[in-house]
Order: sequence, then C-alpha cells, then structure tokens
Amino acid sequence: MSQNSKGIDVAAIIPDRCIGCQICAGECPVGAIEMSGGVAHIDPEVCIGCGKCFEVCPVEAVSFEPKRPQETPQRIPGVPEERFSEYRGVAVFIEVTHGQAAPVSWELTGKARELSQRLGTVVIAFIAGHELKEVVTEALEYGCDEVHVIDDTLLGSYLSRLYGKAVTDLTNTVKPEILLMGATALGRDLASVVATNVETGLTADCTGLDIDEEKRLLLMTRPAFGGNIMATIFCENHRPQMSTVRPGVFRPGERKSDRTGAVHHYPFVPPAGEMPVILDFVRDNTDETGLDIGRFPALVVVGKGACDPESMPMFQELADLIGGVVACSRPVVEAGLMPYERQVGQTGKTVAPKLYFAIGVSGAVQHLVGMQGSRRIVAINSDPHAPIFGVSDTGLIGDYRDVVPLVIKGLRGRFQTIRMK
Amino acid sequence: MNFVCCIKQVPDTAEVKIDPETNTLMRSGVESISNPYDLVALETALILKDKYGGWVTALSMGPPQAEQVLKEAISLGADAAVLLSDRAFAGADTLATSYTLYKAIRNLDLDRPVDIVLCGKQAIDGDTAQVGPGIATRLGFTQFTSVIEIRELNTYDRHITVKRRVEGGFEVVRGPLPTVITVDLGLARPRRASLPGLILSLRAVIDKWDADAVGAEVPKIGLKGSPTWVRRIFSPPLKEGGPVFDARKDPVPAVERFLDTIVADEELISELFKNPGV
Repeated sequence: MSQNSKGIDVAAIIPDRCIGCQICAGECPVGAIEMSGGVAHIDPEVCIGCGKCFEVCPVEAVSFEPKRPQETPQRIPGVPEERFSEYRGVAVFIEVTHGQAAPVSWELTGKARELSQRLGTVVIAFIAGHELKEVVTEALEYGCDEVHVIDDTLLGSYLSRLYGKAVTDLTNTVKPEILLMGATALGRDLASVVATNVETGLTADCTGLDIDEEKRLLLMTRPAFGGNIMATIFCENHRPQMSTVRPGVFRPGERKSDRTGAVHHYPFVPPAGEMPVILDFVRDNTDETGLDIGRFPALVVVGKGACDPESMPMFQELADLIGGVVACSRPVVEAGLMPYERQVGQTGKTVAPKLYFAIGVSGAVQHLVGMQGSRRIVAINSDPHAPIFGVSDTGLIGDYRDVVPLVIKGLRGRFQTIRMK
Repeated sequence: MNFVCCIKQVPDTAEVKIDPETNTLMRSGVESISNPYDLVALETALILKDKYGGWVTALSMGPPQAEQVLKEAISLGADAAVLLSDRAFAGADTLATSYTLYKAIRNLDLDRPVDIVLCGKQAIDGDTAQVGPGIATRLGFTQFTSVIEIRELNTYDRHITVKRRVEGGFEVVRGPLPTVITVDLGLARPRRASLPGLILSLRAVIDKWDADAVGAEVPKIGLKGSPTWVRRIFSPPLKEGGPVFDARKDPVPAVERFLDTIVADEELISELFKNPGV
C-alpha cells in the first residue's frame, strides 16, 4: 500500500485483474479514476483513500487496505419478501414457431422445475402465438403447473412489437419472480423488448442458473469477453429476474402424459401503429448459403490446420457418415473456403451438436465459446499441444491427410457391425 | 434520410489472453477497437446515404477516450459524432445503456427527425444483443434484428424491406420507418478510410454530452440505473481433456483405439442412428 504526497494511503488498480467495467470510475467521489488502455487508473494525488472503489470492484482488482474492519455492505435495507410479495413462480416463455415448440423451451421447463422446488413455488408457462392447443398440452406434460396463453391470429408469426406486447402483458398480469427464455434469435430479440417494457434486469445467453435461497435470487452465469471469463450476475431490486439461456445447456425435463395443471387464456390487446409484414421465409436447407449448422446432430468442423480445398470431399464424406454437415472455424471463412454461415465461434454460430468432430481446429477460446455445449467433442490435430485436446473427450494426434481416411473406413465398419446387432 | 449509428468501443477480445500461471485475464495492453458489428452498421448507413442522400451521425457512450471510435467513424464518412460521456454513465448494464442512448437519439431527433438507427447485432465484449432492441422499444420504432441484407428502402412511402436471420432460416420483412436495425457481420464489408477522411477526422471536433445535456434522469443511468449486478467473475472451469492417441508413428492402432472410445458411447451412437441418413 502506497501513500501519496499528502500522506494518504491510496488505492491502486491491479491492471491484470481489471476488466474495464468502469464501476469504480462511477463511484469515485473525487474523480481520481480514469480509464486508459482498457483498464482503470487511479491518480494517487487525487485519491482520498476512501476505499469506495475497493468495495465496488467485482473482480478484486483494487489493492487497498481499509482502515477499519469493513462493515458488510448493505445495499438496500428493504426486505425482498415484502417488496416483491406479489411476485411468484418461475416462468418459462415457450417459443413456438410453425406450431412447434423449440427444444430449448422444454430444457428450460426442466430447469424451472428444479429452481421452483428450491424456492418452494410453481412453474409457469407463457405461450403466445396462434393455434396453440397441442403446445399447451405439451407444456402441462412437461410439468408446468400453470399455463398462461395468448392465442390470436395476429400472433401467427413472430414480430417483435406484437409478441413483445403479448409477453409484457402476461408478465405484468401473472408477475413471475423469474422469467426464462431460450437464447435463440427469437428469444433474445423478445426478451430485450419485454425487459425494457417492464424495466427489469436481463442477463443474456446464460450457461448456468442457480438460486440463492435466502435472498430468493437467481444467480445467472454467462461467458463474457469472448468466453475468456465467466460472470455470475444477479438482479436484486427488480422483478422478474430475467435471463435468456443458451440451447443445449440443460437436459429436457421428463414428459409425463398424466400431468395436469391450470390453463388461463387472455385476449390479445395489440399495440397501436402499423406493424411490419413478413413477405417471405426461406428455410435453411432450401438455400445452400443459408444452411443452419445449429440444427444438425453432428458436425465435422474444419480448422486452419486442415484448410485445404482438396480435402473437402473427404470431410464431406465423414460428415455424411455421421449424419452431419461440414462447418468450420473463422480462419477457414477468412480464407474464402467456406461461407460465413458455416462458422462456429464467437463471431459465428454457437452450436451444441451431439457429436462435434474437429479436424485441424487449434481451439482458441473464441472458437471454444461457440461449441462447449457439445455432447461429445472429438479432435484430430497434428499438434500435440493444441488447446482443443484440453476440451476434447477423445483426441487423435496426426496429419489429417493420413488419419481421416482411416477414420472413415474404421467408422463405417463399426457402424455396420453395430447395425447388425 | 437521417441516420444514427451507435458504436461501442470494446477491448479486442481476440487479444485478450489468459495468464496460464495465475489463470487470470490479461487485460493490460489490450487494444481498444470499434466493435466490428458496429462498423458494419456504419458501413450500411454510409451505403444508404450514398444511395439516398442524408446525414449520418455516429453516437457512442463511453469514457473520454471512446472519442477514438467516433474519430474513426468521421474518417470513414460520418457527418457528425456525439460522445456521451459522464462518470454518472459508468457501470451501466444494457437497460441503463439503452435508456441513455435513447435519450440522446431523442435529442438528435428534435434537431432533425431520425429515420433509421443502425446498431451492430451485438458487441464482442458483452455479446448480449440487448441494447439495439432496447433502443427500438423505448423509441417505439420498428425493430429488425440480425439483418443481413437491405432489400429496399422506399423513401417516398417510408418503408424498408430487409432480410434477417431467424431460427431455421431467413425472413424477408417489410415495415414502416422510423426503424432500428441491428446488423449481422455479413451485411457489408467496412470500407477503409480515405486520406482526406483521415485528415478530416484529425481536425473533427466531437460533441460531448454529459448526463445533463442528454437530459437523462439520474436514477435511470449508470450503475444506479442498472438492475443487474455482477456477483463474481471467474475463469471458465478447465475441462479435463479425455484420452489422446498418437497416430504419428503408427497410425492404424491409434485410429482403432480412437474409434473404439467414440463408439463405446452407446447413447451417442443411438442418437446418431436416429438420423435416417446414417
């Protein structure tokens, strides 16, 4: 701990820990903290040694010794139970497109059952759309205690404002303490609209959910900085606590046909003004450039180390064999060998196939963040020190030109043997 | 047409590394850049301006040195730039950020009605994709996220037709102006600054607005206006890698053992066999 020229014990930033969130800069009463080079910097001559920055830093990047033993910081003295006594239940937005629920919705109802048990409350389904009878039954079978439905012809397909209004109305009427949605394109679009309308906190793209039972808080964990770090986020002073959750993270809940529950229907009150009109929908598999790699149970992912046009038919053969498609990492797109739609990773798609077969993928964090939810990761790389081997379930060191033909041959033989059994 | 383009200054996440000794984030010395998605948004605004005429304002919220991304925007062709900078803005989550940007856009709108707000689909440091829709909702503008193509902009009947990425494919959708569009990387390839543009940007004076100038209500901005708080930050748990077989010397037995461990996962194999193509 250092002193400035006035003899005050001042605080200092530990640059390697600082994440540049600027929280300290906002809290400093004397404006001693400036941002430079992406990290905070404290001017020791301006610092008054109050320790505010030390208290608020989420990552312990401030070195400071408080003079007195620190009192436990009490942010809001109010009792959450009283403030939020109207709010109850763990709600899940069931995402329906073309009459079918997205798989992530049932992953979330499964998780919601676990969370609701720890809170001693109910699981609630929110469903908006048109012709929803089957999905409502399905929601009950997946263990929702209450299903709240807005079924209207205007909600035939997704439009941000219309669905935003419907789900905002459901939220304001039912008042769940937690509201979860899938982190799909639709879910992320919708959740932002609803959270803005009800003015509550929303944590995007979570990969972990937990409960602080005492304070009835949802602890939401998500990757940040391109997957370099994980952050656990909570929302103490607003309800509902909202989160979008990445598909494939949780297992779907159990479905039982004998489950029942309460179903409530509400009329739809559309928002004022002219709405957009959907002119056309192009399904991925009808348009080669628009193929959605996220929908395949298996992926053969080509990396920089196998970025070779001549080997593409071989990779395709392996993909056909395991019932998947060929995807790639960023350098392969940059080399012009594959279209952007095939890219896995932070700036590409997040995927969670059953089988993720990497060939020549080194495993940079920006890539790993887009595939870590995969059920089984298999890697071939010529570099024994490639980071991909740190996350793979099974690895093979070798030149892909030598080993991939052997893999195809061997796998085909094994598949035949298994099929005969 | 009056365009506003929101640009965030972000650390270059590709440069962020984990210290293998301490397992902590090495942030010092990491360069700050314009969020790549936002540069695509700016390029889109510039292309539309070239075609239909108009005015492009670049808007950023951040510490004083975020001025850098606005100078870059000027060098690329933005007509004006506004930096929202105030200690009171610091620590803002997506709700407080979208509120602050919304208030600023409302101010710009009073001056010259805003037709199209363009944002990157998400920022590479937070990856939330929540600020664009938040702005659209507050402004009451038509919202189009993950746009990969502008099909048509009709300045007479004031409608825009875009192609956007949705689950399982793409949709082509037409809606009225004013609108907020969030763009995907594929929409446009950012141009390089011209020499006159660079010179212009060096001389450019960037407007700076604090909380007062923005007209923001203090309880809604910065840390105080942010419902979400960070409890803990940690390095991702290191997954233990599974067995690795060395096929460099003698490939056949290594490949055999490699494949045996894969097919030993019966659940996986039965999942794959559900696919009629396998």
